[in-house]
Amino acid sequence: MKYHILTLGCQMNKSDSERVRTVIEGMGYRWTDDEEEAGLLGILACSVRQKSIDKVYSRVSRWNEWKNSRSLLTFVSGCVLPADRNKFLKLFDLVFNMSELPGLPDMIAQYGIVTGAGGNSPGRSTGIRPEERIREFWKLQPSYISDFEAYIPIQNGCDKFCTFCAVPYTRGREVSRPSQAIMDELTLLVQKGYKSITLLGQNVNSYGLDKSGSEVTFAGLLGQIGEFGARSGHEFWVYFTSPHPRDMSDEVLKMMATYNCLAKQVHLPLQSGDDKVLIRMNRKHSLEDYNRVVSSIRQILPDATLFTDIIVGFTGETLEQFENSRRAMDSIRFNMAYIAVYSPRPGAASSRWEDDIPMAEKKRRLHVLTEELTRHTLEYNKILIGKRLRVLVTGYDRKQGYMSGITEGRIIVRFFTPSPVPPGKFIWLEVTGAAPYSIEGNLITDNVIEPVLP
Amino acid sequence: MFLISSIVIGFMHIHPKNQAGKSSIVRNLQPMQPVVDTLIMRKIYRLQKIRNLTEDTYVMRIDRNNMSFRAGQHITLGIPGNNQVREYSIYSTEQDPFLEVLIKEVDTGTVSRQLHKLIPGELLDVEGPFGYFTLDEKWMQREYLFVGTGTGIAPFHSLAGSYPGLKYTLLHGVRYGREAYDKSYYPEDRHILCTSRDTIGNFAGRVTDYLKQHDLNPETKVYLCGNCDMIYDVYDLLTSRGFPSGNIKTEVYF
Repeated sequence: MKYHILTLGCQMNKSDSERVRTVIEGMGYRWTDDEEEAGLLGILACSVRQKSIDKVYSRVSRWNEWKNSRSLLTFVSGCVLPADRNKFLKLFDLVFNMSELPGLPDMIAQYGIVTGAGGNSPGRSTGIRPEERIREFWKLQPSYISDFEAYIPIQNGCDKFCTFCAVPYTRGREVSRPSQAIMDELTLLVQKGYKSITLLGQNVNSYGLDKSGSEVTFAGLLGQIGEFGARSGHEFWVYFTSPHPRDMSDEVLKMMATYNCLAKQVHLPLQSGDDKVLIRMNRKHSLEDYNRVVSSIRQILPDATLFTDIIVGFTGETLEQFENSRRAMDSIRFNMAYIAVYSPRPGAASSRWEDDIPMAEKKRRLHVLTEELTRHTLEYNKILIGKRLRVLVTGYDRKQGYMSGITEGRIIVRFFTPSPVPPGKFIWLEVTGAAPYSIEGNLITDNVIEPVLP
Repeated sequence: MFLISSIVIGFMHIHPKNQAGKSSIVRNLQPMQPVVDTLIMRKIYRLQKIRNLTEDTYVMRIDRNNMSFRAGQHITLGIPGNNQVREYSIYSTEQDPFLEVLIKEVDTGTVSRQLHKLIPGELLDVEGPFGYFTLDEKWMQREYLFVGTGTGIAPFHSLAGSYPGLKYTLLHGVRYGREAYDKSYYPEDRHILCTSRDTIGNFAGRVTDYLKQHDLNPETKVYLCGNCDMIYDVYDLLTSRGFPSGNIKTEVYF
């Protein structure tokens, strides 16, 4: 029997899908890229945008038509709002929270009997608390899709209640995974030769705060990882995403500065450069607070690259408030910004407000910020010309004879090589050219190992 | 009305012109109790009672179930099996053996109306506590200006009750005097009722009108809680007087 899963949305869903695969393959199913030959079809849904939810409805509609001609079992999990969950119960055979994944084999085995799998919150009826169920979920060994890049979930849920986001209502409250389990998974990955490992969570730097002192803090966790890396004898980079500016401490940055395996790259969502918009977004930080963190990053990690997320056209965003975002970008000079045009997300508080900025104006603002970003990234990338950088090879470039990779700061690299370098291998590269969102360089032979930049 | 947005914009110091006669002596100030148990609890809670304050506004008292919280924080509240929850500031104090929230029925709302229909003994889905609209231990001796509109007075009720010696002035903005929720709970010299549609309060007009007519003490900390428009107005007013935006702390109700 074959199975196929459609994974929508963020890295967290992609990470979750690796555990779903383990459970399903443990039942004897085999993966297929062709959903038409699958007997088990699932979707890991995303509620961040309506478009993703629309995709769920469209796909399951097709699958349900197939049921007229063949035996098929469908399921949906992932980030699903309670209101959508009730609708999905009528469309899918199984609907379950990701934390209930360990019970999926039972749900499938009992399907056709009468299953409680689609209930609103089965954990409650069984007396199992959500945080206990997510712990069971984390115990599952993922089936990693890549053999050199992996995600490790360290925390689930969110307590911040940003008004544009529905995560507190889809994934629940912040629950930290035990640090020992994280270290076990990390150790295994490093021993298997993984080179790029990303710690995942909705607010990774809130890690441990839900444990009342019985668990290490995020800085403490990074310290454990750093110590392990220092004595492991392996070269690898550990990233984390996403931190919240409010919980970004100097202690975290100092840990990153101390250990080589902690990659010098920070993804710090700004969302807006205007204090009043930040109030409406319920971000719990001001621009001044954010700038303070940036200042610490520049001081403690002078070579780190800085990425961010920004929303343009949020409800009520005036031209002046948008201009403050542009000024903030001009001042901070990000290495990458994921700029999103605001769209109401069902279930989020802001979805109850009028989406009052016309789409054309939102797109204009997006264009203005993109131009700003392009200018900054190109300036930065040009500075790299002539430098020797450590690069992780990630794959083959579209251009014949070229391969691609990333620097420690996650800047995309393209280089010519007469013979292919296996993806997942570290190389040295001398930068010869710069574009706004990538650099180009020449492969340096393996015996040249001294970098100019860390 | 439900919450919530909280942001530390920092602290601004305001000096109400007409408050010169107010005592600056710290009275019965309780030391800040460090909350060591921040475990987020999700349980089914039992409704103890509903106390109606007006025809559409009520205080809901529920079991505390040993929840540890800091005054100013909020919880989420919903009816088990009903897929919607809302955030509400905690109205009761850190010392009370129960939890209370202040709720106003929203015409277009569903949760606030459903909650009002519950009877004692019925169950509620509660999560929390959450939020950062709390006092900073370092600033306990400072003067505070609390500005709340409507049910935005809720966190200040908890703060005032939890720290009886706190030096604060509470500006409560409502439309009519009958909306002065539990006015007698606060010392008379600390509570200023601003009514925009009648003259029953201490001041006829909005809280922003009151603030326009009063000087600001640079040693006072300002906490704002209520609808976003009020918070924006007060924010603009204060910053236009040269106060750093980093000195205001807000909690927005949506």
